[in-house]
Amino acid sequence: MLLYHRPVSAPEASSRPRRQRRTRPRRRVLPVIGIALGFVLSGALGAALYFSPAIAAAFQDFGHTIHHQAAASPSASAGSTSASASAAPTLLPAVAPGNAFTVLLLGSDNDAKFSGNEVLTQSMILARVNPATKQVTMLSIPRDLYVPLSSGGTNKIDQAYLHGGVDTAIATVEHDFGVHVDHYAWIGLLGLIHLIDAVGGVDVVAGNPVLDDFYPKDLGGNSPFDIERVAVLPGPQHMNGMEALQYVRSRHDDLRSDFGRSVRQQQVLLALRAKAKLLGVADIPDIAAAMTSQFTTDMSVTQVGQLLPIAGNVSLSNVKQVVLLAPYTSGQVVGAQDVLEPNWNLILPLVHKYFPPA
Amino acid sequence: MRRLRFTAILLVLWVAFGFGVNRFLDSRKSTLITHPAASVPTAVKPAFALPGTVYLSQAGHLYRFNAGRFTDMNLTSSAGSWVQPALATPGRLLVVARAAEFSDVYLVDARSGALVQKLTSNVAPKRAGVALNAWSFWPHLAADGSTVIFGYDGPKTGLTYEVHLAVWSGPLTGKLESKQWTDPTQYTGGDVNPVPLAGGGVIYTRYALNAQSQIVSRVATVAKPGAPPVYLTAEANDCGEPAVSPDGTQLAVICTSDTQTARMELIPLVNGVPGVPRVLVDNCLCASPAWSPDGVSLLYLAPADATGHFQLWWLNKATAFTPALPKQVTTNLDFDATSAPAWAA
Repeated sequence: MLLYHRPVSAPEASSRPRRQRRTRPRRRVLPVIGIALGFVLSGALGAALYFSPAIAAAFQDFGHTIHHQAAASPSASAGSTSASASAAPTLLPAVAPGNAFTVLLLGSDNDAKFSGNEVLTQSMILARVNPATKQVTMLSIPRDLYVPLSSGGTNKIDQAYLHGGVDTAIATVEHDFGVHVDHYAWIGLLGLIHLIDAVGGVDVVAGNPVLDDFYPKDLGGNSPFDIERVAVLPGPQHMNGMEALQYVRSRHDDLRSDFGRSVRQQQVLLALRAKAKLLGVADIPDIAAAMTSQFTTDMSVTQVGQLLPIAGNVSLSNVKQVVLLAPYTSGQVVGAQDVLEPNWNLILPLVHKYFPPA
Repeated sequence: MRRLRFTAILLVLWVAFGFGVNRFLDSRKSTLITHPAASVPTAVKPAFALPGTVYLSQAGHLYRFNAGRFTDMNLTSSAGSWVQPALATPGRLLVVARAAEFSDVYLVDARSGALVQKLTSNVAPKRAGVALNAWSFWPHLAADGSTVIFGYDGPKTGLTYEVHLAVWSGPLTGKLESKQWTDPTQYTGGDVNPVPLAGGGVIYTRYALNAQSQIVSRVATVAKPGAPPVYLTAEANDCGEPAVSPDGTQLAVICTSDTQTARMELIPLVNGVPGVPRVLVDNCLCASPAWSPDGVSLLYLAPADATGHFQLWWLNKATAFTPALPKQVTTNLDFDATSAPAWAA
């Protein structure tokens, strides 16, 4: 605009006819470019405002770095109950697009019982995604699995996150299971509720009545140690976020305890997958806003966006669900706590059937 | 002045364009994200009318569907959410009022919606703790017209993690929790969906652990309280939600075979012995079948679109060799999938 209004000096005026011929195209083009640029900028601003929740999440929740610790060989892990990985952390190259990758899904009780990020992982699911073959394998790791932690000592695997955050949780899984984790995603209780509500609920076939007279009333109650009763009736149904959380979190009245819960968690994950394939780029801000501060991952927003079509292309028949029931694990009492003793001689061959050894 | 006006117009256009881009992106959201709220049944016009009267539950309200329109029965919300209606004595319904941590069975006037009688009292004294509350679900009036069959997780005597539903019965005019019919498998959720049979027995869904430590569901009958269950469906089929035709010769069930999809099957019953099952509706998220009073057609609930909200579907000539194709009765409603419709003549 300023160029268009530039005053013309006298000497310039004397040579006006010739200069006019030379500058007229520029005088016409530059304002047009300026106006077009204005439209581009205003459009970009409109889009930026639209995607602002996703942009904020991209800085806050996405793109966290995994500091990998060198994993011990699976054979070294087998039978070990006291070893712990303590090698220096290293950064590994990102997975090439289209290649199979392994992601560790973590879910936590991030309620008022704990402070800050000091939480247990109530749910650990190791997933192998192969975009080429459109196959997914989900291995639920029992939270009570008694394993060497990468932070030192032996304890329930849900303590790994408590003692060292996501890096320790990943390193513990890598070390004990002899696999390499490419990515992780962590979600809190409220994040799961908000995510499910953001996509309008999930459609689930509840495999049995899920009754619990001692369900934690730690969301919205007076005390994080309060309890409440829940009853999720069996059969096909549409669940909102809170109902789905009750379904995947309850464990007291399930003979399989954490295993039963793991099966239900995988069911809801698959139900979310079914919803994910219907989502598009324009839905990302709402999803990001729903999970703000309740979700972290090392993946970028772009990588997560690339996962959506993969989710859509995977059929249920191509999803392999693995739960470490007996004889892979056995119940034991260590100290005063009930734990699950892993049978590594059985677990490792099973795991390496679906997850490439590190 | 002219340039100023031009600049002002340009600024307005830029702002409008930026706003337009923002709104355009917003308009590209999937219906999952926008998920418009389901309509209230009284505000919609169903695709067609059904003979008789159908009672259904949505968002804790009980609705009467008659002559092609829905009417809210306006049951008092102070008792909780109204679910699982069942036909009782003429002009009366058995309905469950579900509160946050317990549920009770009520006898309700089918025309006025007035509460006739509260049949159970499952709330525990406050100082006893919430774990001593109880659930009552799926009430049905037995063929004798005076006994109520239902699911119940009481009586609660002490604090334990183990809680399961069992089939119970009691007189309509007395203590409902009088007789326990079934002995559920512990830590599975128990026995659910009891349906009284004309001959005096009960058909229900029994949950148990199989050899692989998986919880499986089977439809079973029990002839009298305490009698052993006789299974009507195979363990691998994971069937439940039985609905028995009025003449007792056909059994509609929902089977999932340990998957996250369902199918509706029809099993002929000859003197209580199951025949060869036939799939009526396959690869669906169908739930809660209910027979028409004449035993010719079936109603069931299933989603019709990606919202996952359950709509009412009608399957005519369900017992014919070639049943009619299911017809969607409602659109944009959100019925409670665990509350089977009750269909009166």
